Amino acid sequence: MFITKMSLPRRRFLQGVGTAFALPFLDAMVPAATALANTAATARRFGAVFVPMGAVMDKWTPHATGAGFEFTPILKPLEPFRDHLVVVSGTNEPSEGTHSRSVSAFLSGSAPKRTEAEDVRVGTTIDQMIAGKIGADTQFSSLGLAIEDVTGYIGACDTGYSCAYQNTMSWKTPTMPLPMETNPRVVFERLFGRPGTPAQRLARRRLDASILDSVRDDAAELNRGLGPRDKVRLTEYLENVRDIEKRIQRAEQDSENGLTLPATPVGIPDLYADHAGLMFDLIALAYEADLTRVATFMMAREASQRIYPEINFMEPHHHVSHHRGEEVNLSRLVTLQNYHLQQFAKFVKKLASTPDGDGSLLDHTMLLYGSGMSNSDIHSPIGLPLVVLGGQAVGVKGNRHLQAPTGTPHANLLVDIVNKFGLDTNAHGVSNGRFEI
Amino acid sequence: MSLASEHGRQLEHWNGVDVTVDARPGRGTLLPGGFSTGRTTTDHCDIIAKIDIPGPRFCHVETSWLRRLRLVSLLALMFVLLSVAPQAARPPQPGAVPADSPATRHQAEVAKYCVTCHSDRLKTSGVSFEKISLAHVGEQAEVWEKAVRKLRGGMMPPQGAPRPDAAAANALRSWLEQELDRAAVAQPNPGRPMLHRLNRVEYGNAVRDLLALNVDVPSLLPPDDSGYGFDNIADLLGVSPVLLERYLEAAGRISDLAVGDRNASPTAIVYRVRQDASQDKHIEGLPLGTVGGTAVEPTLPLDGEYELRVKLFRTNLGTMRGLEYPQRLEIAVDGQQVHLARFGGNEEIAASSDNPTTAGNAVDERLRVRLPLTAGPHKITVAFLAKPSVQGGRRLQPWQRSSSDTVDFAGYPHVDTFTVAGPFNPTGVGDTPSRRAIFICRPSTADETPCARRIITALSRRAYRGLATDADVQRLLDFYVAGRREGGFDEGIAVALRRMLTSPKFLFRAEHDPDTLAPGSVFRVSDLELASRLSFFLWSSIPDDELLEVAAKGRLRAPGVLDQQVRRLLADGRSQALIDNFAGQWLYLRNLPGQIPNSNEFPDFDDNLRQAFRRESELFFNSIVRENQSIVNLLTANYTFVNERLAKHYGIPNVYGSQFRRVTVADPNRMGLLGQGAVLMTTSLADRTSPVRRGKWILENILGTPPPPPPDNVPPLKDKNTLEKPLTMRAQMEEHRANAACASCHKLMDPIGLSLEHFDAVGKWRVTDEGQAIDPTGQLADGTRVDGPISLRQALLRRPEVFAETFTEKLLTYALGRGAAYYDQPAVRAIVRDAARDNYRFSSILTGIIKSTPFQMRKKPVPEGEVAADRVAAR
Repeated sequence: MFITKMSLPRRRFLQGVGTAFALPFLDAMVPAATALANTAATARRFGAVFVPMGAVMDKWTPHATGAGFEFTPILKPLEPFRDHLVVVSGTNEPSEGTHSRSVSAFLSGSAPKRTEAEDVRVGTTIDQMIAGKIGADTQFSSLGLAIEDVTGYIGACDTGYSCAYQNTMSWKTPTMPLPMETNPRVVFERLFGRPGTPAQRLARRRLDASILDSVRDDAAELNRGLGPRDKVRLTEYLENVRDIEKRIQRAEQDSENGLTLPATPVGIPDLYADHAGLMFDLIALAYEADLTRVATFMMAREASQRIYPEINFMEPHHHVSHHRGEEVNLSRLVTLQNYHLQQFAKFVKKLASTPDGDGSLLDHTMLLYGSGMSNSDIHSPIGLPLVVLGGQAVGVKGNRHLQAPTGTPHANLLVDIVNKFGLDTNAHGVSNGRFEI
Repeated sequence: MSLASEHGRQLEHWNGVDVTVDARPGRGTLLPGGFSTGRTTTDHCDIIAKIDIPGPRFCHVETSWLRRLRLVSLLALMFVLLSVAPQAARPPQPGAVPADSPATRHQAEVAKYCVTCHSDRLKTSGVSFEKISLAHVGEQAEVWEKAVRKLRGGMMPPQGAPRPDAAAANALRSWLEQELDRAAVAQPNPGRPMLHRLNRVEYGNAVRDLLALNVDVPSLLPPDDSGYGFDNIADLLGVSPVLLERYLEAAGRISDLAVGDRNASPTAIVYRVRQDASQDKHIEGLPLGTVGGTAVEPTLPLDGEYELRVKLFRTNLGTMRGLEYPQRLEIAVDGQQVHLARFGGNEEIAASSDNPTTAGNAVDERLRVRLPLTAGPHKITVAFLAKPSVQGGRRLQPWQRSSSDTVDFAGYPHVDTFTVAGPFNPTGVGDTPSRRAIFICRPSTADETPCARRIITALSRRAYRGLATDADVQRLLDFYVAGRREGGFDEGIAVALRRMLTSPKFLFRAEHDPDTLAPGSVFRVSDLELASRLSFFLWSSIPDDELLEVAAKGRLRAPGVLDQQVRRLLADGRSQALIDNFAGQWLYLRNLPGQIPNSNEFPDFDDNLRQAFRRESELFFNSIVRENQSIVNLLTANYTFVNERLAKHYGIPNVYGSQFRRVTVADPNRMGLLGQGAVLMTTSLADRTSPVRRGKWILENILGTPPPPPPDNVPPLKDKNTLEKPLTMRAQMEEHRANAACASCHKLMDPIGLSLEHFDAVGKWRVTDEGQAIDPTGQLADGTRVDGPISLRQALLRRPEVFAETFTEKLLTYALGRGAAYYDQPAVRAIVRDAARDNYRFSSILTGIIKSTPFQMRKKPVPEGEVAADRVAAR
């Protein structure tokens, strides 16, 4: 579809209207004769949400396959999104490693190399592959978030495996783990700038823009009497000035378009639901404002010792996860796994209720939710708990429970996911085919 | 049978001169004559290299000179027309140099000892001496400087090849140096540093000196790339959109923090204590009578309430450590106790064994306090009150490190994180050092602009290092006016400040070439430029008012003034930057935090020891500078600085407490830098020593002859766990010699490193390795035999000028912010020659550098091809 309209110079527009923006997407701002598919309106998004230490599988897996299955106690919070949801059962991870594999293989489809030294290796993760495909036009090609900061904890990881495998679920290359940010404030400021009301933020951006505009005069004076190589470097500086001006302009449009920003977080909230909720909100905002199209979120760390007083989960998660089949532990885990899904469901709801182009954000997003093990008592890599959510626009046909043939690597599912984002590959990690959802 | 020719080329050629003399006595008579001399060379190096025969290789065979005379007539020489037809250019252009001149003699030596490998055909290491004449050494300065360096290290010709005796080699080297120096005097080339972006450290120091504000620069700006061993190399200080964005952001934060932003929203700074830090002893800088803990120095944005929170360490299984006995934790602000919390004891250890998570969280709840604090810098400490050892420490503590066991919950509690959050309910911007530094006037009610102009003029003068123009001040004033409109006088100043800190005139050190000079000309930098060079060299920061004043008046080079300013800058506390940044990088002290010795092999090692290593070497280098000692003492001094932790490690008795003090080093093995833990550990791996790294470090940083990088596809040493019988380090090193590709460099590095094998990977003295006695013997590149640290030191200092040259070159690199090039070598030698007369005292080298051609002068670039040429030169 092509739109033939006048393109409205954004800055002049903003100056005229001030801070009163109502429309999230202004037709007038689509540059004339640009295919709409290339603009933010129909951009596709990807998100991967990881939970540690598997699931109590008989309280996770629906009994029936196909459409119209009954939601299980753990999955119940996702019921409102039945039509956007596919439960994928029966896929496996490689068996090497325990907690470290559960995280690092989740998106890489590969087993981590057993090492504690700097020669870590697992595999490029699909979020980074997808970011390479669809992330170029946004301010941030991807966003990696987590809840627990574990830097500096030597010795709290799988024996024989580097902590890198447990600290992130996102690898840019097979040997380059990407750090995940746990502090909502840092994420917020990276996305939207420093705190303040929208008006203050806009004023700050305007000031930044005018500072950048004005430093050109300094640069011009500085340029006189410089040698050729110095001039090259100063030119680079000025090119960067232009780059950032563009980004500030993009930022003015992107983030102030009627978005309601939450108050800038002070730091890391103590209450889990607050922390996770803030992180999800930030992802939703970043999607909405088209600051990024790819996000990963580790809702808790593998082997986490966290307790959850708000749901009366008073023993460290890792301890309870080795449940030895005892009913009391299993029921605690079901409660916790349901609680994690409640937080996730709030996020899905937000996406479903945010208009985006011709539908909702959820319609243009694919989310993968799950864990890298099934039965946590034995770190089982067989039959992972996985759910895919999203809309038709990203190839997700909802209301289905799929059972993979025995022995299907979950990497086959990852192949299908990257294919749906236009990456033409038929192999990923240990895959031996494609598992189409 | 296989023929050599199947493996490669075999060359046989004749090198010589054929001189034909034709005499024409007249009337068309032609009397032909002449002579020829030369020798035949057979060269099958190509083949030898391919079939890899071990041992000395005489692949190059030469006959002796054969002479042939074709003399027909010696008549009428006045009519002789000489036509010289060299078949090969060796020796080139006879007649250009008198036959008995040093140039000719040395040319013959070069031909004899060097051209075998460095021929036009082999071009070993990319160098050929075959056609280079020694008649004009200065014209080929780049290649001859390389030769000088190799000769100086005794590295060429290599062992096993025919070598001139030491006297001859030295004579050749000094003659080459003389020639090079002579050429440099006749035609100096000071080079030119590139447009120099402030690095992180310089930026932070400039902000500190400009605004009396300490900012946490690593959290504001990304790290800089480094090269030539330093992170202030202009070439590598590039710009990127991310960087500029961060500058913009940093400028906003800094100006708000300096002026005071009434709208500042609460933030939390989380300080984490390294997990490998021991917390069972007193830590330097914390209140007496305490153990463990940490000290932080935040700058608070506003007067208001702040919350201070401590989180204690949990073991692997989530149990809080140290609940066994009653404990007290003290939080103090600027030396005043503000919170004392009690925890631990029977009830809590019971609760903890019941449920470690809830019990631990309940304790953390008590370790927080909310209190009003003023804006500005504060020192906040958190520590445990010391207890009788029965109740405090572990009943049985096997290691020095109190935190080595991540499962054990006995012993002292450990601080994990310390959080400072706020401001809540702010009451005002307060009276901070920054505000006092900025607001040198307060506006009169009638007109605020004159005061704003005064403030901005004063700030921009220093921020732009004396080069602020009226136009600059006006531009900043425009921003003041805009900010004034929005939020009053202070806000106006904050906005102007923000604009100033983003200006390329602040972020870049630029030097301007006078229009009047022709390209290629060499000239003195202006006094203001020199002032900047000085302050960035000695302070890693902007010049102060006095230095700018002197420079602006054009008096910096007046007799005695420069010396006096250098003395003043060096005496100022800001010159600590020279220790932190020069010594910190030259001695790899900055790598210490990333050095994590394997805790199974070195269970005693803790962060306290790591910090002590750094402090020791810093204090030691500092003492050489402050006491103006000979830099040779860096390698030989019989004293060092230790605290109790470090003294224990070194086996020095009777040192107690956390504070550092100067002690005499009785053990000659331990004397000087090569006996210091920082150097020994940063050149080791996590679980073992690395003679290669140690050897390389000494070649690079002491002898100034860094080995080339290793060839590709070299397999690692065998993992000792996979071997039936553990190999000693020496046995492992022998593997290097077995491989010809490795041997040429490793026979330079390994013996040096092996002589230090008595020091383990954390610098502790040992007598065995893998159960076998240490064998520190070996032979250095020049043939000297060494058998441990003492003889190594003696060998390194047999010619102290070599170390002095290396030191000078490193310091010059740091001073100039560019790699020392071949054309800087004459300056280096001149500095060292002068310093030698003063026993290589530090100040003689420092002032030598400051007065040197490259520091005082600059070369105006030649437009065409300049970019490429300069890059090559700087390599």
